[in-house]
Formats: sequence, structure tokens, C-alpha cells
Amino acid sequence: MLKAGLVELSWTFFFQIINTFILFLILKNLLFKPVTEFMSNRQKGIEESLNEAQKKNQEAENLKEEYLTKLSGAEEEGRQIVKDAAKRAEERANEILKAAEKEAEQIKERASLDIERERKKAINSLKDEIASISMMAASKLIEKDLDESGHKTLVKKFIDEVGETRWQN
Amino acid sequence: MGGEGFGPRIVFYLPGGIPVTETVTVTWFIMLVLAVFSYFATRNFDKVPKKFQNFVEVLVESIYNLTKQTMGEDKLGFAPYMGTLLIFLAIANIAGLFGLRPPTADANTTLGLATITFVMIHFFGMKSKGVGGYLKGFLEPFPALLPLNIIGELATPVSLGFRLFGNIVGGMIIMSLLYGALGSLSNAIGINIPVFMTAIPAPLHIYFDLFAGILQSFIFTMLTMVFVAMAMD
Repeated sequence: MLKAGLVELSWTFFFQIINTFILFLILKNLLFKPVTEFMSNRQKGIEESLNEAQKKNQEAENLKEEYLTKLSGAEEEGRQIVKDAAKRAEERANEILKAAEKEAEQIKERASLDIERERKKAINSLKDEIASISMMAASKLIEKDLDESGHKTLVKKFIDEVGETRWQN
Repeated sequence: MGGEGFGPRIVFYLPGGIPVTETVTVTWFIMLVLAVFSYFATRNFDKVPKKFQNFVEVLVESIYNLTKQTMGEDKLGFAPYMGTLLIFLAIANIAGLFGLRPPTADANTTLGLATITFVMIHFFGMKSKGVGGYLKGFLEPFPALLPLNIIGELATPVSLGFRLFGNIVGGMIIMSLLYGALGSLSNAIGINIPVFMTAIPAPLHIYFDLFAGILQSFIFTMLTMVFVAMAMD
């Protein structure tokens, strides 16, 4: 078979340059471009999903914190309600107690007033009684008709003068 | 020229008498294999990578990382070309293992690739520095060095191309000489079946095809990256 020279520049030179260009285009479009695009897309995808996961985690963390705050708030609120109720109850009890005391005081006061009035009334009626008795005794004694009303005042005056100190003591 | 020797066989002629050599047909075959590989590698890509997808991802990612480390973050756009160069050269250099003539054992291939590198160096150098800044680079460190700078620039693709070509073609020649010698040895002892051709060449295949092949493809790609990056910075 015919052979070309070992070191002989020929048309092969141009063939090989063209071949190299064609091979470059083939490999660039069929191998390098798709593979690098695919890899960078995948990298982007992984980054995106990682970011997404992180975001979700953050959200969950926030929600958890919020709920915890709400929960402790509710607990605090409950405690406050109980405290308020206890305070109100105590106040009410004190009020009732005070009102009862006041009422008792009033009753006591009224009772003592009543007693005083009764006493005065009794003394007055006693005084009247004594006056009429003494007048009767006096009329019997002097056997003399006296003007009853004139004497009555006389006697009363006497009794008042004498008896005031006596009755008082 | 033509006839006997280690040159590539002429497979057929295009209309107009343009010869198409083994180099070109093997390159086409490699291109086909890589195109099919790429097509199936990127189909059925899953979000959770499986074995094969892992391999493809690691391959592409390491090429991008290598470009990033060697050329810098801002020149990551060169990664597809550098990857093409690396993959093509690696497969072309170990093609000898599959009984094919390595396309890189042809100065046309290596000098063609070196020419692309040369054009890239100066095109992107001009694009990055501006024509004035780029031309000023030839007068540095002082204007008297202008001829030397020009020779240096022109030497780059030649050394780049011939380094790769020499390594691969040298290995190929040594291997075929060895096979010839082993065949003759078998005949000399009187065995019709060339038994010595088994096992003995294997370590040399590992060295010349695998080791030197991968190493040279790496060197060529790295140098291309460094030269282009240097021209731009």
C-alpha cells in the first residue's frame, strides 16, 4: 500500500485542523456544555433546597417561640385572675364584716337610747304617781278642798325640788 | 516521497487527487467514538449521579479545575477547547494499543494542533492587551531583542508540534522494530508462530503508548494553556 512520508506536510495538515475544530464543537456542545450546565443547575438546586429547609426551620422555631410566649402568658393571666378573685373576695368579706359591725353598733346605740327613754318615761310616770298620791294624802290630811290644779302644780314643784336630787342619786 | 517507511498509509484519494491518509481516517474514527460517547454520556443524566455519570462529571470537572488552576478563573472559557485537546490527544496517543496508527504520529496532526495553539496565543494576546500592547511585548525587555522574540514566538509551535510527534512516532518505530526483531527471532529458532511477539512487548507498550502517550497529551495541553494565559496576562 502506498505510504506518505514520515515527516511530510500535506493536505492532512488542513484536514487535521478542521477535524480538531469539528471535534471541539462536538465535545463542547455534547459533553462540556450539558455536563457543566447540569452540574451548576444541580448545585443551584441543592443550594435552593438547603435555603428552603433553613427558612422552614426558622419559621418553625419562630412559631414555637410564639406559642411558648402565649402559653406562659396564659399561665400568668390565670394566676392573675385567681389573685384578683381572692383579693376581691377578701375585700368583700372585710366590707361585710365592717357593715355588720356598724349595724351592731347602731343597734346597740338605738337600744341604749330606748333604755334611756324608757327610764325617763318611768321616772316621769313615777313622779306623776307620787304627785297624785301625795296630793291625795295632803287633801286627806288637811281635809280642805283645795283647788286641785293649783295644788298640783304646787306639789309638783315641791317634788321636783326635793326629788330631783333624790331620784338622781 | 512515499513508498516504504513509517509514514501513514494513504487510504484513498479525494476527487482532485487529494490523498486521505490513515491519520485522517483514524482521527475520524476517534471523533465518531467521542461523539457517540458524549451523546450517551449526557443522556439520562440524573440528579443523583450513578457510576457512569460520576465518571463523566469527574472528567469534566477536573478539566475545568485544571484550566482554572493553570489559566485562572477569568479564562475558564478555554476549558472546552483544552478538554477537547486533552481527550483527543490522550486517545490518539494510546490508539497504538488498539492496533491503529496514532494520528499524533503524523507531523501534520501535531503541527496542525500547534498551529491552532500559535494562532490562539497571538489572537487572544492581541484581544486581551490590544494591538499596541501586544506589539510592544516584542520589544521587551529592550528593542534590540525584537528578532529573538520573533524567533522565539515562531519556535513555540514548532517545538510544541515536534515534541509530541517525536515522542509518539519514536515509540511507534521502536515498537515496530521490536515486533520485527521478535518475529525474526522466532523464525531464526525455527518456530513458524512468532511466539516472542506475545508478552515481551507488553511492558514497552505500557511505557510508550500508555505512559508516554498520556504524559505527552498532558504536556501539550498544559503548554497550550500556559502559553495562551501568558500571552493574555
